[in-house]
Amino acid sequence: MNEPPKEGIKYVETTVRLPYHYVAGDYKALYLLALKEKRILGSKCDTTGKVFVPPIVASPESFAPCSQLVEVADRGVVTTFCVVNIPVIGRNLELPYVAASVALDGAAISIFALIQECKPQDVHMGMRVEAVWKPDGERQGDHEDIQYFRPTGEPDAPPETYINRL
Amino acid sequence: MKRPVAVVGVGQTHHTTRRSDVNIAGLVREAVDLALRDAGLEHKDIDAVIIGKAPDMLEGVCQPEQFLAGALGAHMKPLLRVHTAGSVGASTALTAVTHVASGLYERVLTVAFEKQSEGNAMWALSPNMPFVAPLVAGAGGFFAPYCRAYIARTGAPAHIGPLTVVNARDNATRNEHAHLREPMSLEDVMNTPMLWEPLRFGETCPSSDGAIAMIISSGDLAKKGPRKPAWVKSGYSYAEAMWVPGRDQVSPKAGQVCAKHVYDKAGITDPWNQIDTAEIYVPFSWFEAMWLENLGFRGVGEGWKAIDRGDTKFGAHLPINPSGGVLCSNPIGASGMIRLGEAALQVMGRAGAHQVEGAKTALGHAYGGGAQYFAMWIVSSQE
Amino acid sequence: MSKLRNVAVVGFAQLPVVARDEHRTATEMLYPVVRQALQECGVHRDGIDYQIAGSTDYMDGRPFGFVAALDVMGAWPPRQDLHLEMDASFCAYYAWVRMQAGECDTAIVVGHGKTSEGDPQRVLNLQLDPYYQAPLGLDPTSTAALQASAFLARGAATAADLAAVAARNRNNGVRNPDNQLRSPTTANELAQSPWAVEPLRQGYLPPVGETATCMVLAAEGKAETLCDKPVWIHGVDHRTELQTLGARDLSRSAGAKLAAERALAMAGLAKAGDVDVIELMAANPAEELILLEALGVDPRAGKPSINPSGGALCANPVMSTGLIRLGETFRQLSGRAGEHGVAGASRALAHAAQGHCLQTNIFWVVGSQRRWS
Repeated sequence: MNEPPKEGIKYVETTVRLPYHYVAGDYKALYLLALKEKRILGSKCDTTGKVFVPPIVASPESFAPCSQLVEVADRGVVTTFCVVNIPVIGRNLELPYVAASVALDGAAISIFALIQECKPQDVHMGMRVEAVWKPDGERQGDHEDIQYFRPTGEPDAPPETYINRL
Repeated sequence: MKRPVAVVGVGQTHHTTRRSDVNIAGLVREAVDLALRDAGLEHKDIDAVIIGKAPDMLEGVCQPEQFLAGALGAHMKPLLRVHTAGSVGASTALTAVTHVASGLYERVLTVAFEKQSEGNAMWALSPNMPFVAPLVAGAGGFFAPYCRAYIARTGAPAHIGPLTVVNARDNATRNEHAHLREPMSLEDVMNTPMLWEPLRFGETCPSSDGAIAMIISSGDLAKKGPRKPAWVKSGYSYAEAMWVPGRDQVSPKAGQVCAKHVYDKAGITDPWNQIDTAEIYVPFSWFEAMWLENLGFRGVGEGWKAIDRGDTKFGAHLPINPSGGVLCSNPIGASGMIRLGEAALQVMGRAGAHQVEGAKTALGHAYGGGAQYFAMWIVSSQE
Repeated sequence: MSKLRNVAVVGFAQLPVVARDEHRTATEMLYPVVRQALQECGVHRDGIDYQIAGSTDYMDGRPFGFVAALDVMGAWPPRQDLHLEMDASFCAYYAWVRMQAGECDTAIVVGHGKTSEGDPQRVLNLQLDPYYQAPLGLDPTSTAALQASAFLARGAATAADLAAVAARNRNNGVRNPDNQLRSPTTANELAQSPWAVEPLRQGYLPPVGETATCMVLAAEGKAETLCDKPVWIHGVDHRTELQTLGARDLSRSAGAKLAAERALAMAGLAKAGDVDVIELMAANPAEELILLEALGVDPRAGKPSINPSGGALCANPVMSTGLIRLGETFRQLSGRAGEHGVAGASRALAHAAQGHCLQTNIFWVVGSQRRWS
């Protein structure tokens, strides 16, 4: 019989591969489809009338359903942001880039969005921005149909209009 | 609480980037053995085991408590597994407290761990999911905008975040379990690269391997133990929905409500003066100032001033995170329980070199999710 | 057993179990269920003190899947809350413990998980220890087959018994509108189905299915105001065992036996045979026979009625299967079981399991009368 090994194996390298087939949900699917037509959909709370973007089936605030889909503007205000210096898995972005909370006009909550066409140090809270869409024919009905948001040059929004929509 | 409950044993591993000397079960068992030894107890004295950890993707094992049953000494015992995101360590310990308070269990072992080196933490926490734009790089990218909002609202000067790190690192030099124990000057912190402005690399928690275990006991048995226990005066976990219009991520309502409930039950009306030290969950520098306000220690816009004045340093009015906190050790799933365990050690008078002199009442706190989950307890040297 | 607080199941809602809901995410499926459970109790969301959810990140295919559920559970204003990575039956247990501690009087317990999005066989392989057993590629069907082989080898049952048990469940299940499998069958037909892993045939195993569940629990004083016929918890206990397959006698379930004995003792019952209905979370007929042996119940006796709902063989939505067993006993004892109702049932036993080869087991004893006066 051979001698037992002097040293044990320190690590076992295993790659876990698991397939998943995620369901988007009807609201999310309609939202993505509308992006193809340069439209942004939200859902409206049956009780409060507040609009959620992307659309959700129920308002977490009122616990009531949001039965109706409505369109909101493709522009809004930067409510807060950070300047990112590390790469994101799954996306090829030039560093540094600005990740911002953008409250779209007509929406009660904000979305996370990329801000470009300006220097990171020029981005500020209250800055008005608009969506820059992929050209016609290239939009796929996914989140990258909005390439990023850029400053509109409009005057800044007053803080009281966005401070509750971080 | 229906009957008195106390902490009679605390066991903690040292926390470091990679514990290559033990596997997952070995890491957990180390903390369990330390806690049992600390309490002068054996596995046969334990009625149930409550374990918590953060997402299973961190180690690549689904519901690992099933395979850890042996290492936990849970064979033929009740075993529950908790997961409430970053707050999990704290909510796990509180679940054990309820078990004992109910009168159904006399002594419960509670354990929390994370062995982040086993997997890829960045991927485990922020995977690239379909139907959402990949934009947030790690937890820092999610929380940095809220730090900015805090700064904008309060006019806090830029050095407060780095100063918080200087204090935390100074504290960690006195804690033999801490992961990052080298002191840093304000300049050192400021010179680290900006990752998610306004958060620098130096203002971000590390990624650690580590575990902690505690023995939660009925008051009657606690009095018979070899050591002075830490009495649990109150403890609650609260959560709030994410997409509530107007939800304040800078000072979440769930945190305020939870703190008030915990203070009320413990008879605390003036936390700033009645609490001797607090271990609070600060994974990114600015959260210390934010939580000082959210927890009612300071008024709105006043949190950063307490840090600036030095009131939260070791030896000052209200030492915050004398262990060094999450900024110096972060085995994610264990971090919340470490806060609660450190608070217990302080009121037991057994925190070693980082003991806050004369600490009688302490707060342990953790949060998680998108600042949605909060869990905290008040422990005291007095029954 | 000292006197405990009387706590009752006062409401239960679930979606019919389907192979895959193409239109809704896990949380979108949960929302109507929570609404329905509360509505049936006639209670506003603010009237519920506590909430607890059961799900697992790997089944959800994402970390923190349960966080999104907060948005459909009515978690505003902030609620006292917990989440377990366990079947929701274990969540109900903790809500019950909280009521014993006097920390709450009412609770909602939810289970969610979109089983069809992932591959449960591969996901649950990852539940085995990562050093020795998971790398073998064992999935829950293979480990269940090992257990079934051990059971048959002990001479405790025959291959024909497995087919008979499977057929009984399937035929009971025809009358339950929430089931995924509702077509009648025969033991002979199932015994002809292809092997899944020998000695288990495909006809003995449930298909992948998904749902969402919500139960409402309430303590005495509140329970009567929320339900015309509260179903009272008389006893409950849960136990886990070592996972290592070679370290336990797979042909028996020592943990189930102990949990059942303790739950029955709490309920003041001498034996499991004293109940009218037993709902077991057995994902194959060998598991059912092993559990019945642990309970000391003869499956051929005809009473108690075993799995009148059709059991887990007709619908096995991971994270909810166990809570559905408890929900079924509520339906039976409160006259809500419809066509699969067992006439005159007043006491029942509900079980849930977790882990490979019945590693972790919980037993509930419930009754239509209060346990403690």
